[in-house]
Amino acid sequence: MPDEAGSVAVPNVVTHATLTRPRRLDPSPSWKNRLWRTGDASPNNRWRGAAVSLAITGLITILGFWIEPFIRAPNLAILYMLGVVFVAVRWGRWPVIVNAVSSALLFDYFFIPPVRSFVIGDVWYSITLIGLLAVGLIVNTLIGAARDEALLAQRRAEHVSALYSFMQSVASGNGLDRIMGGVARHFMEMFQRPIVVLLPGEEGLSVGFASAEMMFDEAESRIASWVFENGQEAGYGTEMFSGSGICYRPLKTGSGIVGVIGFQGKSSQGLLPPDQLDLLSIFLDQTALAITRADLARKAKRAEALQETDRLQKALLNSVSHNLRSPLSSVLGVLSTILEDGSLLDAFTQQSLLRTAQKEARQLDWLIQNLLDMTRLESGAIRVRADLCDMHDVVAAALRQLGEPAGCSRILANIPPGLPLVPMDGILMVQVLVNLLDNALKYSGGDAPVEIQVRLDTGQLEIRVLDRGRGIPEGELERVFDRFYRVAVPGAPRGTGLGLSICRGFVEAHNGRILAMRRAQGGTEVALFLPLEART
Amino acid sequence: MSSPGPRVLIVDDETGIRRFLRVSLEAHGYSVNEASTGEEALQIVPAFRPDLILLDLGLPGVGGKHVTSCLLEWTQTPIIILSVEADESEKIAALDAGADDYLTKPFGSGELLARIRATMRRVAQPDSGPVFVTGELSVDLAGRAVRLGEKDVQLTPTEYSLLKAFVIHANKLLTHRQLLCEVWGGAHYEDPQHLLRVNINNLRRKLEADPTRPRYIITEPGVGYRLRTEARASAAL
Repeated sequence: MPDEAGSVAVPNVVTHATLTRPRRLDPSPSWKNRLWRTGDASPNNRWRGAAVSLAITGLITILGFWIEPFIRAPNLAILYMLGVVFVAVRWGRWPVIVNAVSSALLFDYFFIPPVRSFVIGDVWYSITLIGLLAVGLIVNTLIGAARDEALLAQRRAEHVSALYSFMQSVASGNGLDRIMGGVARHFMEMFQRPIVVLLPGEEGLSVGFASAEMMFDEAESRIASWVFENGQEAGYGTEMFSGSGICYRPLKTGSGIVGVIGFQGKSSQGLLPPDQLDLLSIFLDQTALAITRADLARKAKRAEALQETDRLQKALLNSVSHNLRSPLSSVLGVLSTILEDGSLLDAFTQQSLLRTAQKEARQLDWLIQNLLDMTRLESGAIRVRADLCDMHDVVAAALRQLGEPAGCSRILANIPPGLPLVPMDGILMVQVLVNLLDNALKYSGGDAPVEIQVRLDTGQLEIRVLDRGRGIPEGELERVFDRFYRVAVPGAPRGTGLGLSICRGFVEAHNGRILAMRRAQGGTEVALFLPLEART
Repeated sequence: MSSPGPRVLIVDDETGIRRFLRVSLEAHGYSVNEASTGEEALQIVPAFRPDLILLDLGLPGVGGKHVTSCLLEWTQTPIIILSVEADESEKIAALDAGADDYLTKPFGSGELLARIRATMRRVAQPDSGPVFVTGELSVDLAGRAVRLGEKDVQLTPTEYSLLKAFVIHANKLLTHRQLLCEVWGGAHYEDPQHLLRVNINNLRRKLEADPTRPRYIITEPGVGYRLRTEARASAAL
């Protein structure tokens, strides 16, 4: 029973049932290079064996004439015995009989007195015949058994190595697609048949892999579904749906059925030979295990992603509660102060308090914008609408959004005058620039200039924002693009750690790259690379 | 309501916003009326006959876009859209339908008043005379002559039509679609956006000293463009 063999260790692949008729069982060309080619019982070989037997008997007889003067005639029987043994080793049963009979006849005729005559009932003749036949047949049987054993051992080794390489391939494969590819390739190598693998999905069983030669249609799919539901084999050569050309087997594991495999049942070699059935069942078990493993890996990955989402949510909550509440507290504080103690404050103080509140409220708006953008990025709601944009226009819009009082006059834009229109989502890119410029202005105090450089390179647009701020520590150049990551600097301006990660999200949505570098004379350079070909 | 200033109708469902708008506008001499829904706005307009309508896009019931088209069917009253960022496509639709301008919430009263003044100014002087002047730029619509300071500017016919559209609607936000309609008429081109951008780009190169800090033709990302006139005329209000 193939399904029970699942947990059996590999060397048990071939059971002793195969001993009785090993020669007929082997349809595999790869197993043709035999250790022993002699056991072949084809008629051709039998005739050739008989002819060789006769020739050997003849040669021994001639040799007998030559040495007869030196030894006693009955001892010549030993020579004939040698011949029989030789034939028994090299050839099959029929040549042995031919050899034994002809040896007995020739021995009796030429060497047993009365010489050159057959005496019926001659005791020498009978003993010689029986002796030769017995020795020949016994030797032949023993040799045959040894030969079968060797053949078996060799096939076993081949099965083991085939299974081993199969297991290695499915174990090293990550991802269901690669595993399926390996399964199909090894099935072809081991059984010379194309296969189809069906896996359960959200909408029932669907084809996970099908060899190109496989004809798989609606009717076949129904058979496969039946196999999946019932956990029994069906199709060609079985009791269920035997009209199909494909033989279906369930892929079972301890926890249930993980899929169905179908292989071409009808083929030039007929049904799968019995000794390969065990190999097949191990193959199926391993495939089932590999599929389960891939499934588990996928689930683990999803769990990991969920964990990451969880972590982000915590960071988000943290950020919201801290970054949104602090400006809000200022606003509320100012408002309540003026409402309750307005009469105690002079106009100038009230003005300055209100200005603070206004600034904080703007900050709040900016934070909400960032959080919204982050959420849009997270949920995949960002859709790049790439239009041909004028970089001057994009930079102008960013500068206007930053507002002149923010120190815009410190910003030098260096855009080649002849720059053609470039494909990008103008709104998103304006936001990227606003974020980068805002950072650059914020982290480089005083009048230090901030520079925007735009350059057209082969196939891509380069946008660089350069400042003379305190710079990002070497080890954190990549991490600054992580969500909620902030370089730990005492007294740094307030921020959420979202700006740069939003920039990266928007740039990557354009299939572009963004990276931060330290400048030689101090400061930071953020470089954006946007591909110029239109996005699909 | 008896105050003599320009009449402004505020249409917004949020009491807080209406209150803030009323206080700031009345402080600047406007006469204000309020509506909290689109239906109410449509009822008030005939009697109140506002000079300008501030219309929130996120109204419950009849949407702001619908109110815009209804209003514009029988009145020339300029409309300024108040929107939040998520209303992007609604906003463009309302502007395409004929609204004059938009303000994204949250906004300060300074910004609001500046927009209202610019819009009123534009409406008050539909014919700016044969020669339009702002900053260094002068456009003689009768003589088809464009000058920047002392220099003549050579424009292609398309660039000129574009500039003419801007001049006629000076200070008004013109959406991409409106510009395409105005300059290229109903003709269909393969990539009209591209056509528009190339011409704006060329026009800017000829008119602006620093294209990254444009003085005249201002881009509203994702929406359209406007010709900004310089503050000289704003002394009128």
